[in-house]
Amino acid sequence: MKALTANRLIDGDVVFWKAGKWVERFADADLFDDAAAAELAEGQAKSQPTVVIDPYLIDLMESDGLWAPLSYRERIRALGPTNHPTHGKQAEGGEMIEALMHADGAARSSGRVNLIKRK
Amino acid sequence: MYQYDTLDKEIVADRSREFREQVGRRLAGELSEDQFKPLRLMNGLYLQLHAYMLRIAVPYGSLNSRQMRKLAYIGRTYDRGYGHFTTRQNLQFHWIKLRDTPDILDHLAEVDMHAIQTSGNCIRNVTSDPYAGATVEELDDPRVWSEAIRQWSSLHPEFSFLPRKFKIAITAAPKDRTAAKVHDIGLMIRRGRDGQLGFEVIVGGGLGRTPYVGPTITEFLPANRLFSYLEAILRVYNRHGRRDNLYKARIKILVAALGAEEFARQVAEEWAKIGPEGDLPDTELARIRGAFAKTAFEALPAVSETFEAAKAADPALARFSRNNLREHKKPGYTIVEISLKTVGETPGDATSDQMDAVADLAERYGQDDIRVTHEQNLVLPHIRLDDVPEVFARLQAVGLASANVNLISDIIACPGLDYCALANARAIPVAQQIAQTFADQEKAEAIGELKIKISGCINACGHHHVGHIGILGVDKKGEEFYQLTLGGSGAEDASVGKMLGPALPYDKVAAAIDTLVEVYLRERQDGERFLDTYRRTGVEPFKEAVYADAH
Repeated sequence: MKALTANRLIDGDVVFWKAGKWVERFADADLFDDAAAAELAEGQAKSQPTVVIDPYLIDLMESDGLWAPLSYRERIRALGPTNHPTHGKQAEGGEMIEALMHADGAARSSGRVNLIKRK
Repeated sequence: MYQYDTLDKEIVADRSREFREQVGRRLAGELSEDQFKPLRLMNGLYLQLHAYMLRIAVPYGSLNSRQMRKLAYIGRTYDRGYGHFTTRQNLQFHWIKLRDTPDILDHLAEVDMHAIQTSGNCIRNVTSDPYAGATVEELDDPRVWSEAIRQWSSLHPEFSFLPRKFKIAITAAPKDRTAAKVHDIGLMIRRGRDGQLGFEVIVGGGLGRTPYVGPTITEFLPANRLFSYLEAILRVYNRHGRRDNLYKARIKILVAALGAEEFARQVAEEWAKIGPEGDLPDTELARIRGAFAKTAFEALPAVSETFEAAKAADPALARFSRNNLREHKKPGYTIVEISLKTVGETPGDATSDQMDAVADLAERYGQDDIRVTHEQNLVLPHIRLDDVPEVFARLQAVGLASANVNLISDIIACPGLDYCALANARAIPVAQQIAQTFADQEKAEAIGELKIKISGCINACGHHHVGHIGILGVDKKGEEFYQLTLGGSGAEDASVGKMLGPALPYDKVAAAIDTLVEVYLRERQDGERFLDTYRRTGVEPFKEAVYADAH
């Protein structure tokens, strides 16, 4: 399972793809179990350069019966910094935030590697 | 501090106007991200994990109260009520929006501040001694030279597109508080046999993935020849520095490849071509020296009865005085270091309210002078001993009175994976756990000077290579692990730490530090610092203890 993420150009906020638009909560993101559909969405996202920066697909895993990003870095993006629990998206709380906080999968983030290459 | 003239103000205001136009063109789609990225980086604006990060230059770590209040205002208005002081004496805001950045730059320009040369392959903000102009140890005021270098290097057309970023540190005291030996160029002011001022020039130090303590290429450069010599170094680097490999592009790689002697020879050859015409005229240096607002010190007795009585009555003030005050060059004054390492808080962070409080103290008691240290603390360099009890009480009221400068909880940590797009692992929570482990102030004082430095990736913004104990976050199949190094120093006795052994998981780091400290307390002799004991005993006793516990 995959989701599509980016940072929004105008404010840098972490956003997720949902039906051709961008939403702020991971809980609202489109989930792709079909690789071709995911790549199609990624292609469409890349054609929105005045809306987002660096869209990329992330791998998901199951946590508390919900889907959560597999890489720790992506969970921090979806939640906020661990040193300030009231900053970032985690402040809102809820079932999905809890699931992300409890997730313990581990993998390198594919997006991070690409960002470093762009340096 | 240095007073901007009309030309300085115009440059900063122009730059702000230019960036507003560039942001407009980016949002309108006239510039692609690839085109815009170098432009925003030239104005200190990075994209990180959760938002943009704006790095604001604090030239040689020097601020006045008006500037500090402006930073507090920006934190409150455009960020989340706080800012992060960095290991390059700068300030970063972590929750910045692109659309707000032109307004923020305008606000900064109002107080003679900017974000120019806080990123990019140019000469970055000059690091200097945070005790400059106050410490009894210095031979000259290094801020004068720092400011001259700032003016020389700002928007320098020849040196705006170097092979890689370039960092200069300058100190005039034998006790190095700038990490000069691990900068691209470290300048140490020396006095020659004839009494003339000059510089020891160290080139090719650095941290990152290939750490080096820089070699000295000139023992004594006459002070009036500084700028032609800097130009010669930069020219040799600009010509021969590697542009084909990002990881081999810093000057340290060139110096190591050529050898210090050959590098020095090439610099000397270039220097001869440039000649004295490349130097700053004495009149210009005098102008810069004169543009520093004069500090008016009162004639005071060396001992303050008010201060002594307050210390005797308040053990907390006595502890603060032992750890956070430093000798001032004038009788009756002291240097007050403000720790931004309150146990449980994020190293280097200050809230907007705390920034305002420090600004108030500087204005009321401290000759309107504030410094940022490369160890992520603040300094009030000119406080009357009579006023220390009041300053301490006001710091206590805003949670800034931690008496732990240079102690084990005074930990440097980069923002790490909590914020940074390059990080592999978190640094802040590791620092917080260690600080909690050593929250007992009696114990921390008994341990004495111990510098722990933590980086969340090999780029080493947390200076882990030069920590007495260094901690490097690494990514092992997506999990956070931490490599420990021992025996590093960023001071005048600079050295690069040696790896202790296999990396440890996140939840084992604080306990491992505790073990290292136990070994030190067992082994130390005659008041040795942790670093001295390590240098005497070598790594073995430490290694045995940590890995015995880990298995």
